[in-house]
Amino acid sequence: MKILFQARGASLQALILVVLSIVFMVTDQRFQHLEIVRSNIALAISPLRYLVSLPATAGNWAGDWLTSHYDLLNENDALKAESRILSARLQKLEILAEENARLRNLLGSSRKIADDVIVAELLSVDQNPYRQLIEINKGTSDGVEIGHAVIDDFGVMGQVIHVNAQSSTIILISDPEHAIPVQFVRSGTRSVAFGRGSTRQLELRYLPATADIMVDDELVTSGLGGRFPSNYPVARVTSISEDRIRGFVSVIAEPKARLDSSREVLVIKPRL
Amino acid sequence: MQLRYLVIHASLVVALILMILPLPDWAQMYRPNWIALVLIYWSMALPNRVGLWFAFFSGIILDTSLGTLLGQHALALVVVIFFNLNFYQRIRVLALAQQALYVFLLLLINQVVVAWVEGILGRPTPLSVYFVAPLVGMMIWPWVFVILRDIRRKALLS
Repeated sequence: MKILFQARGASLQALILVVLSIVFMVTDQRFQHLEIVRSNIALAISPLRYLVSLPATAGNWAGDWLTSHYDLLNENDALKAESRILSARLQKLEILAEENARLRNLLGSSRKIADDVIVAELLSVDQNPYRQLIEINKGTSDGVEIGHAVIDDFGVMGQVIHVNAQSSTIILISDPEHAIPVQFVRSGTRSVAFGRGSTRQLELRYLPATADIMVDDELVTSGLGGRFPSNYPVARVTSISEDRIRGFVSVIAEPKARLDSSREVLVIKPRL
Repeated sequence: MQLRYLVIHASLVVALILMILPLPDWAQMYRPNWIALVLIYWSMALPNRVGLWFAFFSGIILDTSLGTLLGQHALALVVVIFFNLNFYQRIRVLALAQQALYVFLLLLINQVVVAWVEGILGRPTPLSVYFVAPLVGMMIWPWVFVILRDIRRKALLS
């Protein structure tokens, strides 16, 4: 009888522990709550890690002892030469760092004056091959709202579609579900540019065959629709194809913004 | 808790060291699961003292040291030790060679659970790799058994 109860107790315990480990795994995979457990255990076993690395360290140490005088002199010369080259490079780097700081200041001050731009950094890119979404590190706590336009240094990137407290999701203008109202700078013709799922192409459908369009024409936002502020660069026409039967022209344009490589973006709050 | 029971913890620490000892890449797949071997021995010899909680915490520590998902090895070890707690009475009396076969089975279960979680995470393990480490574990089981039995007798644990 006792053995029976013992066995049942063990089964219950096993069940609890199995569930517990699964909960641990899911939590570890999805959230950051277990990082503290992990870091504490890691700290506790760090002496073991040190112990395990000892043989390799000892080997290096013995190797150092046995290095000859001649080798050391040679190495010393090589290192001195390298150090000279590196310090020369470092001077350049300092100038660049200063310039960078100045530029960043400028960016920050424009934000203060106009109060309608938020500087954000790219967090991640959605891996779904059918969508073109990115995640940035600013959210409601910084004043980002759904519908705000997002640009980089070269042109319009997209708009905000989800907002969390500390981050938000941007749909790029190249997403197949996105369309942006545009205007040709040279002729003033208005149209709508659709995403095609590729970061290098936008499509303008059903333009009248008589429209004044040429390759290399610049496209800017028209400001219609109220989502995107007007006159931001969007794309440049790369090819024009005529549909003679239906009398329409369809245009392919290349986005100006570096949709696949920009790390710093600006979120624009439309002025109301 | 009596001081002499610390030999159990000490043997697990040694097993952990063997688990994180750097090995060349080609040798990684031959590394037996030392923690599982030691836990199987102790849960067979002292089932009232070394049981599921021991397995769970050893697994969590192993997960942190190997950088696997927290709970992955814990789950595998809990399953293995649960099996062992149900069968140890019949296995304890067998010859070492027969025990080794049983240990191979347990190590294989351990391996399958770990590989199954890896598979869910999208990192499938090649089938041939499954069997190698448990085979090595099976071959060294007699030594593990004899060494740990001597330690247990010296520490006067029964």
